[in-house]
Amino acid sequence: MADKFDLIVIGAGPGGYVAAIRAAQLGMKVACVEKRDTLGGTCLNVGCIPSKALLTASEKYHEAKEELDRFGVDVGSVKLDLKKMMGHKDDVVKSNVTGVAFLFKKNKITWLKGLGTIPAPGKVQVEDAKGKKETYETDKILIATGSDVMNLPGVEIDEKQIVSSTGALDLAKVPKTMVVIGGGYIGLEMGSVWSRLGTKVTVVEFLDKIVPTMDEEVGKQFHRILGKQGIEFKLKTKVTAAKAQKSGVKLTLEPAAGGDAEEMKADVVLVAIGRRPLTDNLGLDKIGVETDKRGFIAVDEDFQTNVEGIYAIGDAIPGPMLAHKAEEDGMAAVEIMAGQSPHVDYNLVPGIVYTWPEVASIGKTEQQLKADGVAYKVGKFPFSANGRARAMNATDGFVKILADKETDKVLGCHILGPNAGDLIHEVATAAAFGASAEDIAMTCHGHPTLNEAVKEAALAVDGRPIHI
Amino acid sequence: MKDISCKVLVIGGGPGGYVAAIRAGQLGLDTVIVDPKPMGGTCLNVGCIPSKALIHAANEYRHVSKMARGERTPGVRVENPSFDLAAAVEWKDGIVARLNGGVAGLLKKAKVKTVRGWARFRDGKTVSVDTETGTQVIRAEEIVIATGSKPVELPFLKFGEKVLSSTEVLSLAEPPKRLVVVGAGYIGLELGTAYAKMGSHVEVVEAENRILPQYPADLTRPVAARLKDLGVVLHLGAKAKGLVGEDALLIETAGGRDERLPCDKVLVTVGRAPLTEGWGLEELALDMDGRFIAVDDRCRTSMRGLYAIGDVTGEPMLAHRAMAQGEMVAEIIAGHRRAWDKAAIPAVCFTDPEIVTVGLSEAEAKHQGIEVKTGQFPFKANGRAMTLEDEDGFVQVVARADNHQVLGIQAVGGGVAELSAAFSLALEMGAVLEDIAGTIHAHPTQSEGFQEAALKTLGHALHV
Repeated sequence: MADKFDLIVIGAGPGGYVAAIRAAQLGMKVACVEKRDTLGGTCLNVGCIPSKALLTASEKYHEAKEELDRFGVDVGSVKLDLKKMMGHKDDVVKSNVTGVAFLFKKNKITWLKGLGTIPAPGKVQVEDAKGKKETYETDKILIATGSDVMNLPGVEIDEKQIVSSTGALDLAKVPKTMVVIGGGYIGLEMGSVWSRLGTKVTVVEFLDKIVPTMDEEVGKQFHRILGKQGIEFKLKTKVTAAKAQKSGVKLTLEPAAGGDAEEMKADVVLVAIGRRPLTDNLGLDKIGVETDKRGFIAVDEDFQTNVEGIYAIGDAIPGPMLAHKAEEDGMAAVEIMAGQSPHVDYNLVPGIVYTWPEVASIGKTEQQLKADGVAYKVGKFPFSANGRARAMNATDGFVKILADKETDKVLGCHILGPNAGDLIHEVATAAAFGASAEDIAMTCHGHPTLNEAVKEAALAVDGRPIHI
Repeated sequence: MKDISCKVLVIGGGPGGYVAAIRAGQLGLDTVIVDPKPMGGTCLNVGCIPSKALIHAANEYRHVSKMARGERTPGVRVENPSFDLAAAVEWKDGIVARLNGGVAGLLKKAKVKTVRGWARFRDGKTVSVDTETGTQVIRAEEIVIATGSKPVELPFLKFGEKVLSSTEVLSLAEPPKRLVVVGAGYIGLELGTAYAKMGSHVEVVEAENRILPQYPADLTRPVAARLKDLGVVLHLGAKAKGLVGEDALLIETAGGRDERLPCDKVLVTVGRAPLTEGWGLEELALDMDGRFIAVDDRCRTSMRGLYAIGDVTGEPMLAHRAMAQGEMVAEIIAGHRRAWDKAAIPAVCFTDPEIVTVGLSEAEAKHQGIEVKTGQFPFKANGRAMTLEDEDGFVQVVARADNHQVLGIQAVGGGVAELSAAFSLALEMGAVLEDIAGTIHAHPTQSEGFQEAALKTLGHALHV
């Protein structure tokens, strides 16, 4: 039997590695189990970070080709060297994951390389790539195994022609045509990347709208803008089969409500219908840790499972499957272990889609408020009336703030527009304070910034925007 | 011409004035606004907006130029990019024209009457305006002075063909081959940087011994480094003395030596002065505060019924301060109980990289005798900054050591201008470090730098 730890974290994604660092800061002796060759999990290796690197690079490519002549920047010829662009993305990933390795060293966290399982409470077994098994004793266990791509029956992912988001980040050449199955944020981000690089992209979505959790008004305009950019949508449609052939993939589509099947061909098919918790290889049933039928681990408000000493966070438990939610879970879970009293409010988790323009939201949508029977006021302000947006040639989109009709408390904010992902944080800060729309409206916003659109939307809640 | 009588008269159609007028109109007050130029004042016509448009164009050109040399965005190959300043200026003029029309439309919608012309006080209740069709007399119960400011001219460098103010430099037909900027404040550096990116050889003359002397030194370092990259030559601790011959500016260097800087144009940006002349200040009996009109916390002057807002009332001379004052004054005139109590007025510097400061710097807080804690988080440890290829700079938080109340937030880095509202809001809400640390910031965003800086100040940053 090897070393004994205070805490073993299983999984070194953003939830796990942050929990490990925080635990080490709090004085625990910590180990973190990770089966990948690098730390950082899905997010850093095959998720947020590489996708954003490609989104930025492809945006620059598209801009150089299409947008710059409007303000006097003439570009002779613009050519794509995909291999180099992928190399750049790989470099960004590398500097991120080595950064986490450095943080582990700095915080004296032991990295146990291999696949972790829980043979019994207080014990973690790690099987390395060669099949060698070692069992470690620990006071507490934190499951941070994250999630995996959800499979679609009849569609086998080969990561070459039929790819998941992982394969879509690593295509060897620009496909002529691509079908994205699933109109969620991953599908739309990766669809945007390849569309900008020259692929004809068609998004097939089962429901009658894209990103169904989004505020409907924002979603509608988002849909229209993406359509203008050349992405095609087939809504209320399901894919019943996709077969990889020599000359591309043959798909069979059917109306979601049932009806005649049609066939379609594409060079590459991206399956992006969602993610599922990755909890099936831990041996949870043997030790009696409860999961629901989709595999999410049930935890109490201290992130503890029904088995004492075993905790879980991030994508492995219910709640939004987002890196920053996992990070907050991770910090809170170990602080609770250390006797502190943190709290994570899932209603205050911002969500961002990194398309162009970006979409960011926090709190409730208008549809949720209606369903909950909450009386609310709406304030909206378009970026076309914002000076900075004009000076950036980026006037698509708007800010929408929802506030309680009685108290003016901010209940939700939805932004479609340039830098939406940063703009949402003013509202995140406000919402964390339980601020009113008037609190935002009364705050002096720098001029000329895109932020002013948030202030104006807050003024509009009270029916008195200045610039519209 | 028939005299006009109204409840509220606003003199000056800049951001302070037009916001005051719109708000007054919204509140049902019979309002008139006077300005000799298209609505929007300095900010919209020859300031914030047009400069940001040209800065944006210059940034994009710089980016593709670097792509052409294989230094940015690997994988995108660009050949022979070129920049057509005339086309950029035309684009910029289009934006300004649309916004001018936009403000005019907003005033109309708020039922504000616009009089185009130069206003002059006859007495504290009466103003005469020289319009195209004659003199218009306007009598008002309440008058808001929002005349703004103008670029400071140096007596030995009079504005003209060769010596430009921040106004003329926004409408050049082509980038000057050699541009000398006198004054390394934010206006001079924003515009000087833009021209350096367009291809001008730029030299900057500054009397102080560092650039952006109003900003904490550590915030200005990434900007100085970027200027060096761009080949901008700095002459610090130096004084401009005047033009010599056809194409050189004479300066006295820090060492006391005379030096000739060859140049095609000179941009003088040594500050702005309140516009207190030409509109009849001498007909009034206003208390002054140095060069500025003295106002109280309700923007009331020493004369009943006369208010003053914006640059004419003092520092910081910022559009958003003027707008906030304008909004407040309109509400006060309408009978609302309002007073100036802003905890934070963000200052944004659109240099490369951008700088934001809100609240107190570490030095200012210490100067007030407050014991502080500070923490800094570098963007090179921020994933989003890496994906944006823009890792210079940091976010810094200054808080009271005893109760952790956040007193100030500073940032330097690409795109930090858009982080400023969260900073201001945190100060306005009276946030403590734990509040910022406990607010969920989305990944991957530059905004995470704010949360990390708060965590760092608390002694437990995660990503450094």
